[in-house]
Amino acid sequence: MSGTTESTAVRITGYGVLSAAGVGGKALYEAVRSGALPLGDDGAQALDGQPAPPGVRLLPVPDFEPREHLGRKGLRALSRTTTLGMVAAELALAGLPEPGRPGERADTGVVLGTSTGSARAFAEFFRESYVAERPYLVSPALFPGLLLNHGASQVAMRHSFTGLNASLAGGQISALSALRYARNALLTGRAARLLTGGVEELSAHTAWAWQRGGALGERPALGEGSAVFVMETADDGTGRAPGGSLAELAACEVAFTPLDEGPHAVAAALARCVEDALRAGGAEPGDIGVVSAGASSGPGWSAVEARGRRRALAGHEPEVLRVQDVLGETYSASGALQLAALLAHWEDGAPAAAGGAADWGLVTSVGHDGSVGAALLRRSSATG
Amino acid sequence: MSEQGLRRVAVTGLGAVSSLGTGIEAFTAAVREGRSGITDISSFDSTGFRHTRAGEVHGFRPQDHLERLPAEKWGRSSQFAAAAARLAVRDAGWDTDALSAARAGSAMGTTNGEARAFQELTEQWLAQGIGGIDGDLAARASADRIAAAVNTELGLRGEAQTFGTACSASNYAIGYGFDLIRSGAADVMIAGGADAVNRATHAGFHRLGAIAPDLCRPFDEDRGGIMTAEGGAALVLESWDSAVSRGARIYAEVLGYGLTCDAKHPTQPDRDGIAECIRRAHRDAGVKPDDVDYVCAHGTGTAANDSTEVAAVREVFGDRIPPISSIKSMLGHTMGAASGFGALACCAALYEGFLPPTATVRSVDPALGPDLDCVPGRARPARPRIVENHGFAFGGNNAIVMLGRPE
Repeated sequence: MSGTTESTAVRITGYGVLSAAGVGGKALYEAVRSGALPLGDDGAQALDGQPAPPGVRLLPVPDFEPREHLGRKGLRALSRTTTLGMVAAELALAGLPEPGRPGERADTGVVLGTSTGSARAFAEFFRESYVAERPYLVSPALFPGLLLNHGASQVAMRHSFTGLNASLAGGQISALSALRYARNALLTGRAARLLTGGVEELSAHTAWAWQRGGALGERPALGEGSAVFVMETADDGTGRAPGGSLAELAACEVAFTPLDEGPHAVAAALARCVEDALRAGGAEPGDIGVVSAGASSGPGWSAVEARGRRRALAGHEPEVLRVQDVLGETYSASGALQLAALLAHWEDGAPAAAGGAADWGLVTSVGHDGSVGAALLRRSSATG
Repeated sequence: MSEQGLRRVAVTGLGAVSSLGTGIEAFTAAVREGRSGITDISSFDSTGFRHTRAGEVHGFRPQDHLERLPAEKWGRSSQFAAAAARLAVRDAGWDTDALSAARAGSAMGTTNGEARAFQELTEQWLAQGIGGIDGDLAARASADRIAAAVNTELGLRGEAQTFGTACSASNYAIGYGFDLIRSGAADVMIAGGADAVNRATHAGFHRLGAIAPDLCRPFDEDRGGIMTAEGGAALVLESWDSAVSRGARIYAEVLGYGLTCDAKHPTQPDRDGIAECIRRAHRDAGVKPDDVDYVCAHGTGTAANDSTEVAAVREVFGDRIPPISSIKSMLGHTMGAASGFGALACCAALYEGFLPPTATVRSVDPALGPDLDCVPGRARPARPRIVENHGFAFGGNNAIVMLGRPE
C-alpha cells in the first residue's frame, strides 16, 4: 500500500533549529557539510561558573540569548532546556507563510522529546533543599521547571495552543519518539497541527555525568540544541490549499531490543525499523538519496547503527550526513537535529538524481538502552 | 476519521506495586476497604520538614517479582514499572515467550523520572564536588529507562515509550497504547506509569503549601492538601480478538480518551481546559454525559483542584453529576503513576462491581455545591457500565480515559 495517499500524509511545513552551528538550518547544513563550527566559548556560558570535565569537547549553541527571540519578560525561572525548546518553536512558527489563526489553537499542540527535562534545574532544586535554612524553603517559581513537560507546556502557554501537549523521553531516540507520536496523533485526528521536536541542554551537570559514565567514545564531544518542526496533515480541514511543504514524514518506526541480546540484535532491530518504514512509505532502498545518521557516541554504537542500515538498504549506499561528528553527542535533540540537517540539505538545492531517486531521505538512531528508530522523509516537489 | 477497520481494545491484565499492596488483588481489596497507605517518610531524611508523611512502598524487593531485569542496575521508578508490568502480564495469563514474539511494546508515564537517582547524585555533588558523581548512577537517571525497563523485563521488541507529561502521563500512555492497538500498529501494549517519593518533589509541594499534615482528604471542607506518594501501575492492553482467542479474562474495554492543554498557568488547573478534555473524551468514546456512571477524580486534595475539577464536571454533566471519588485519599498522589492507578481502580470496579471510595472525607465541602456524591468511607456495591478516569498535571496537561464494562 502506498503511504503517500492523502489519508496517511503528514507534511512538515516549517522548522526552527539551534545547534553548535548557530541559528537556523543553513548554518547547520554548512557546518555538517564542511565540518567547521563557529568559534565558541568552550561552553563557558552553559557551564555557568562550574568546572568543565577534563577531556570532553563542549559544543554549546554559541551566544545563546533567549531574550533576542522571546522578549525580556518571564524568562528568569526558565531553564536552558525550556528556552532552547521555546526558541526553536518560535523560529519554526516564524517561518510559516501563514501563522496559525486563533480558531486553530484548539487543534494545535506540542510534542517534545526530552529525556530528563533540565538535569541542571532538577539537580539545583534538590541542592537548594539540602542547603536552605529549612528543606522546604526552595523556590516555588522554579518547581514546575523540574518536570519533563515544562518546555512543551511553556510553548503552549506562549501561543495559547490548547491541543494535546506531550513530552516523550527516549534517550537518543527521543525526537524520533516524538515524531512518531505526533504523526500518529495527526493521522488519528487528535490534532491538526503539532509543533514537534527534541531538545537537549549542555550544563556542568550533564557534562560531568557523561564524562563519569564514560559513554562518549574515543573523541568525546558533547553538544546541545533543539529543533522543532511544524507538522500538519495534508488536509487539515480548514480548506486551505496545501502549500509550503518542506517534506512529508512518510513513516516513523521505533523499536526495542533488550541489551542482553547483544549488539547484533540491536542492529537487526534497526534494520527492521528501516524496512518497516520503507514498506509503510512505499519506498525502495534504492529510492533513498541521503541518510542523516545519529551514530550515537558510545563505543561501538555507530557501527551498530551503520550495520543495521546496511542490512536494510541491501547494498544501496546513499550519501550520509554525519551530524553527530560535527555537533557532538546531543542526546534527546539528536534525531531532531538530524532531521533539520536533512531538510537543510534539501533546501540547499542538492540536485535530485535522475528518475526520482534522492527524493527520499532517512533518519536513523540507536540509543544506549536498546531502543532504535528510523524516520522516512520524502522531499516535497516544491522544494527541489 | 474513518471508523472502519478500527479494532476494539481490551484490558486483560492489571499490575500494581503500591503503598496499599502489591498485585491487583491486594490493591483492590485495600481500595474496597478504604485502607490508607500513608506512613511516616523513611526514604529520605525528613528532618526540618513540617509535614513528614507520604505514601511510600515499604519493603519493596524487586527481585521477588522480576524474572529478567537485573534490578541493581536500574533506578527505583524503573523497578516499580518493571515489577508492575510483570505482575500485569502474569495476571493476563500471557506466556512470556509468546508475548515476546507478539507485536508488543510499552508506554509508561512519569512525572519525575528517576528522581531518586538525581537525589543521590546531588548528595554526591554536595559531598565531593561535581566531579565526584558516580557515572553508573548518572547513567540510570534518564526517564526513558522506565519504559526500557518494562521492555527489557518482558523481552518486548515493539516500542518502549516513556511519557513525561507529569501527573497525567499514565493516561497519555494508555491513550497512546489504545491508538496503536486500535489501528493495528501493535497487538499488545503494556501501559501505565511509575514514580518514586523523593526530597525535591516533597519540598516543592511543601513550599507551595500543598502538603497535608496527616492524610489526604479530597472534597473535605477541612482538606489539607496532597500526600506525595510512589508506586508502579501497569495494564495489559490487547486487541479484543486476541483477548477472546486466548480465552483471557477481560476486565474492561478502553472506549476512548481526550487530551487538552490549558495553556494558561504553570501550576493552577483551569475549568475550561478540563471541561473541554471531558467533552473530547466523551466524543472519542462515543458516549454522552448521561451514560457515565462514575468519575475517578484527579482529586489531589487541594482546594484549587477540588473546586476546579468539580466545576468542570458540573459544566459538562449539568444537573446530574455521577458519583465522583478520589483514590488519592488512600494512596496519596503517586504523580506520573496516578492516572495509572486510577485506571486500575476503574477496571477493578467495572469487573467486580463497585465504586471506589473517597476513604478520608468526613464532611463534604459545601462550597463544591449540592448533591456531590464522593462515595465516602468504603467502596459501594454498584454495577457501573461506563467510567471516566481523570488525570491532570502541572503545565495544564489534561488527559481523560473512558473505560467500559466488557460486553
